[in-house]
Amino acid sequence: MMTSRQHLTTNPSSIKTRFAYLFLRNLKRLNKYRPTSSSSRAVYQRYGMIKFAADASMASAVGSRRAWSRATLLKIRNRALNCTFLKRRRIHALRRRRAERKSRNPRQECAFGQANELRRLVPGGEVMDICNLLDETAHYIKCLNTQVQVMRNIVDFYSS
Amino acid sequence: MEKENMFVNERNTLTPTWSSSNFGMEIQTNELNCTSDQLTNHFFNPNWDNTVDQNDPFESALSSMVSSPVTSNASGDGIVLRELIGRLGSICNSGEISPPSYFAGNNSTNTSCYSTPLNSPPKLNLSMMDHQIGGNLQIPGNQFPNHPSLTPFCSDPGFVERAARFSCFGSRNFGVPSGQIGLNESEFPHKLMNSSNLSRLSRNQSFKVTASPMGAQENREGLLDGKISASDDKFSVFSRSSTPKNGELGDSREESSVSEQIPGGEIGSKTQNDASSRKRKSIPREKPKEISSSSAKNAKAGAENDESNSKRNKPEEGNGNEKEAEKSKADDNGTEKQSKDNQKPAEPPKDYIHVRARRGQATDSHSLAERVRREKISERMKFLQDLVPGCNKVTGKAVMLDEIINYVQSLQRQVEFLSMKLSTVNTRMDFNMEALLSKESHGSLPHSTDQFDSSSQALPYALQSHQGSNLHCAIPNGSENPFSLNPLNSTMHRNPGMQLPPINCFGEPTSQASTFWEDDLQSLVQMGFGQNQSNNLQGTTAITRMKVEL
Repeated sequence: MMTSRQHLTTNPSSIKTRFAYLFLRNLKRLNKYRPTSSSSRAVYQRYGMIKFAADASMASAVGSRRAWSRATLLKIRNRALNCTFLKRRRIHALRRRRAERKSRNPRQECAFGQANELRRLVPGGEVMDICNLLDETAHYIKCLNTQVQVMRNIVDFYSS
Repeated sequence: MEKENMFVNERNTLTPTWSSSNFGMEIQTNELNCTSDQLTNHFFNPNWDNTVDQNDPFESALSSMVSSPVTSNASGDGIVLRELIGRLGSICNSGEISPPSYFAGNNSTNTSCYSTPLNSPPKLNLSMMDHQIGGNLQIPGNQFPNHPSLTPFCSDPGFVERAARFSCFGSRNFGVPSGQIGLNESEFPHKLMNSSNLSRLSRNQSFKVTASPMGAQENREGLLDGKISASDDKFSVFSRSSTPKNGELGDSREESSVSEQIPGGEIGSKTQNDASSRKRKSIPREKPKEISSSSAKNAKAGAENDESNSKRNKPEEGNGNEKEAEKSKADDNGTEKQSKDNQKPAEPPKDYIHVRARRGQATDSHSLAERVRREKISERMKFLQDLVPGCNKVTGKAVMLDEIINYVQSLQRQVEFLSMKLSTVNTRMDFNMEALLSKESHGSLPHSTDQFDSSSQALPYALQSHQGSNLHCAIPNGSENPFSLNPLNSTMHRNPGMQLPPINCFGEPTSQASTFWEDDLQSLVQMGFGQNQSNNLQGTTAITRMKVEL
């Protein structure tokens, strides 16, 4: 009894547990803004929030150990700062996108053809060299797998 | 290393002085000597040419063999010398083989004979000595002019050992005034004084030269001078043709000496050893004959000599006998020693060859870093290959990257899809999470029984969190996930099929949680798991149920 509970309580060091915990807590918070209307717009908003929550919880579960999680956390922080001002956020996003385009290194682009695509996919991959990018990609894939598993569990449970 | 250092120092100190001051002087003395000694004069002049031309094939061979690390000559000198002391027999043989080859007039064979043994200076030294011994005694009148110059080598018993121990052998020779040492020796270093590496060469050349006149003299016993001169002329032709190479080689050596890479030197020595061993292999056939002949010569010499000659020759004979004893030993152990000697240098070069091969590819730090980077990338790619399903059979980085990109995209799309599903699902999110979260905020995760007991609504969440935390629990639920390739999936699928009572199937695979669940919340878990099973394992469990029902 005790041993099993201790085992379970020592388990939280795993990313999976932490993500599940964080994501569920975020979901619970989101439930406060439960959609009164089932309109597509409301559902879409809710989808965006849930997705954001999933990303945020994943990034915070990983922590700042990884470059991609750091990038995600930074993005979240920026978004949280600009969350209240929707208009300003859009402008900011536009500016950021332009800045990203400018900051992209031409030398890195010619290294691998597909690497750029991977850079777009992995958060914070724009500024990485190919070696780190692959490293981060490996970890990111792991985390995405975990995320998908946990979210699938949750969806399956709730849709019951 | 000390020897090498000594050698280097001596090189540094001696070479400039010799090259600058003695250059003109020596040639003059040589000329003077030559004029005074008429008999030798005939031999020496062409022989110089011979030495020159014999150097050239040798150097060309060396340059081809030891292209980059020519400094090896400096460092490998001592090694080679050391090595070759034990192999005097083969050396003498090689020296004696040469005259017939002269005789036949095959310049190519001669040059080949000489060029290869040049790798091993002592050989030539000894062969020269033998020649001298034989030649002196048989034709004393002719030999005398040569004798004073060459005797220092013969009479010095520890000479070879010294030469072996100190790679300053060449410098020592040069330190001795030119009158004592062979004229050729004194001359050539100045010509080739570019580096002290050449001193060895010059030594070799001088030995060669001395040996060749001896051979010529021996030949002379039976033959006319005209033939000899003709052969000499041939050599001189060779020398002229190949002289330009000398300069080039000297330059290359200087360059290499600037770089001064010791491993390269070892490689060079090894290659030299290889060359010498190659040569040696060919030699042993003729060994016995020549040993006998040389011994006969020595005996003859002992009988026929004057007192002065006998005095000289006695130590010489002693040396010769010792050498012959060594010879016989070498003949006995020749193969073993050769193998040992070959193995000795052969062991380190494996690494060095590795390094060298790499060095040929890229020496600068940029390409090295690039190589490291490529290795890193391939390593990561391997790691990713294990991670991404269906990537094992793919070859090629581009295709693999495509696979990885597709996989990441699919995962991200899955997350989007799931979050969409979560948003659309009219969930029972109204369960009381405040109690849980209050405890969670303290840092403890919701695994306590209190939470389970507190409310039935809390159960699903707890169960969910369990499934999230517990990998075994999560796997069956993730059975729908096409990307989870965990073999546990299949086992888990089978388990619920085999044992329909959900508590068992849940308890067995997850032994960690089994006690936990079974102790407290059997009924609740049954409920929860029943829900889970019915909802989650839709396809697979349905199939298994069908099987069980059947």
